[in-house]
Amino acid sequence: MIQVQNVNHTFLIGKKGKEKKVPVLKGLTFEVEKGEVVAIVGKSGSGKSTLLHTIAGFMSPEQGSIIVNGQETVHLNETERAKFRLNNFGFIFQNFQLMPRLTAFENIELPLKLKGIAAKKRKTSVQLLLKKVGLEEVADHYPNELSGGQQQRVSIARALITNPPILFADEPTGSLDSETEQDILLLIQDLNQTMGVTFVIITHDEEVANIAHRKFRMHDGELVKGDTSNVI
Amino acid sequence: MLFKDQVDFVSQHIKKNKLRVFMTVLAATMGCAFLIVLASIGFGIQDTMRKEILEDQAITEVEVYTNNGEALDISQISEVEHVNAIVHRTSMDIMAVSQLDERSLEGNMLLTNFVEEEKSNLQLSEGRMPTKENEIVVGYQFAENLLTDAERKEMEKITEEDAEPIGGYKESLIGKTISMSMQSYEMDEAFPEKWDFTIVGVTEKPARDWFVDTNMLVDESWKDKFQEVYEANAGNENPDLFYSSTKIYTSSLEHVKSVTEELKEMGYSVYSVSEQLEQLDVFFMAFKIGLIFVGTIAVLIASIGIFNTMTMAVTERTREIGVMKAIGASPKLIQRLFLMESAWIGIIGTVLAVIISYAVSFLANWILPMVVGAALGEDEFQDLSMTFSLIPWQLVVIASVISISVAMISGWRPARKATKIDVIHALRQEL
Ligand SMILES: Nc1ncnc2c1ncn2[C@@H]1O[C@H](COP(=O)(O)OP(=O)(O)OP(=O)(O)O)[C@@H](O)[C@H]1O
Ligand SMILES: [Mg+2]
Repeated sequence: MIQVQNVNHTFLIGKKGKEKKVPVLKGLTFEVEKGEVVAIVGKSGSGKSTLLHTIAGFMSPEQGSIIVNGQETVHLNETERAKFRLNNFGFIFQNFQLMPRLTAFENIELPLKLKGIAAKKRKTSVQLLLKKVGLEEVADHYPNELSGGQQQRVSIARALITNPPILFADEPTGSLDSETEQDILLLIQDLNQTMGVTFVIITHDEEVANIAHRKFRMHDGELVKGDTSNVI
Repeated sequence: MLFKDQVDFVSQHIKKNKLRVFMTVLAATMGCAFLIVLASIGFGIQDTMRKEILEDQAITEVEVYTNNGEALDISQISEVEHVNAIVHRTSMDIMAVSQLDERSLEGNMLLTNFVEEEKSNLQLSEGRMPTKENEIVVGYQFAENLLTDAERKEMEKITEEDAEPIGGYKESLIGKTISMSMQSYEMDEAFPEKWDFTIVGVTEKPARDWFVDTNMLVDESWKDKFQEVYEANAGNENPDLFYSSTKIYTSSLEHVKSVTEELKEMGYSVYSVSEQLEQLDVFFMAFKIGLIFVGTIAVLIASIGIFNTMTMAVTERTREIGVMKAIGASPKLIQRLFLMESAWIGIIGTVLAVIISYAVSFLANWILPMVVGAALGEDEFQDLSMTFSLIPWQLVVIASVISISVAMISGWRPARKATKIDVIHALRQEL
């Protein structure tokens, strides 16, 4: 499903003229199978988010190749990448990243709008999904009228609405209390089992990492060998 | 994204920023309205002058003459397409003294061909066109200038300009027979020869108020006879006795231009209303372009507001744009959404501006004549039908194109900026 091959990336930081080279990704190579839940763990600053950003196409790595669903994504242009994301990826962010001026319903509907699906069809799919994530009651609420857990459910629903084969989650429970975290984790597991969605989850929370089939540990831009253990 | 959804998306944003968008639209409206009203003055004055020209003369008339004084080739001219009539009028350098009972009039005599006159659509206020040699048509003011000697003395006393003519012949001249004799300008007495002519028609009132038509139109077959009599009495030949002018009448105004051009190609000197209108149009084209240019500056100033509003909109929504891009909105779509927003401002501004401009133009045409009338004195102004401001659809189109394109151009950079927003950077922004 996802093949990451020898991915390298270096950031230039500091003032112009006196930049320092900071290698963040150092020759990463791994694969994620279809229907897998994969957790990427590691210390802060180890390059987890940067890795996710390169796979998601938010940025291009300096070197290496990334093949998703049989498609090499590194050399796609901006427009092609946007289209690729729309069709293949869903995103769950630590701070939810909902549109503040849209209701829960409209937030979930947005990717369908981007896909050019007609209003009637959108309505039925959104309502179905609202029920699944347990948000029917708050469909007309704006994000600032929702609890953190509800917001994260909205963002999960938004990520799922287009039925993408792969979902990326960067610290999905980072802003939630442990009880809400449990709810979200159960939801993720459920979605994985019933719908076969592939999850790539970045976390430094062991509890979250424990629901994954496999765990990759990152250290200073490298995968720590031997720790790709099967958990479940 | 479906077009309808795009529109929804844009209108939602506009609603969320009502005041700011309103102020920007207001600026755009003022700029565009200024442009339209300013240019409408050019259109208005041109219209007034055009009307003046078209009212003043027979509009289908084309005057032709040769450059070297040679005769015109009538048969060649008559072959030109759309030539309806060729009226060849000859005036004589001599007074025609008409006598009706004890009344008399010293006027001009014009020799012409009535068949061609009829084809040229010569309008009569009374009577019909002559069919016989001794039938004539007289000018509109012929009757009121047929004075008795006593009346003539009375008239000479009056110096006031606008005074009503005293006396004159009050009844219809149709069917009346006048006795005509010729009198040289250098002599005190008329020649002894007299001819009787029957008046069968009276021409229409001249278009210009101050023009007094006391001519008599006589059939051209008399030309040789008159020349004979002149030479017998004056005792010499006068090479300038006859002066001819040839006017060509086209079937309608739209053909004046083509006929004028064709005659020019034949090497004739030509003068027609289309010539005059063309000069007028050239002048006003430059004048209107100048006005539109000045008006466009106002539109450009308004565009600074649009640029600011759009830049702020993009900056404010950086995070949202980042999210949109992350979940799969293409840069093209983002750009389109912002361009639509600035276009919306331009379109609404233009629509309002057009409505306001028509209102201003209407008020100007209503109030200004009163103001100018009061300043000049009511009487003098009554005859002037002036258009101060005219907004033809072409002006609306030009102003709309300028104003909407300027709005879109000023929205272009902010829209580009939106497409360049980096997803990672945007997502990191504080909520
Ligand atoms: N845009 C950037 N420019 C320069 N350096 C960057 C940039 N983004 C990240 N870095 C650096 O790359 C390194 C890895 O950052 P990254 O965000 O991937 O870490 P992380 O593993 O996600 O950490 P955390 O668990 O705290 O989120 C850090 O040292 C960071 O300073
Ligand atoms: Mg991170």
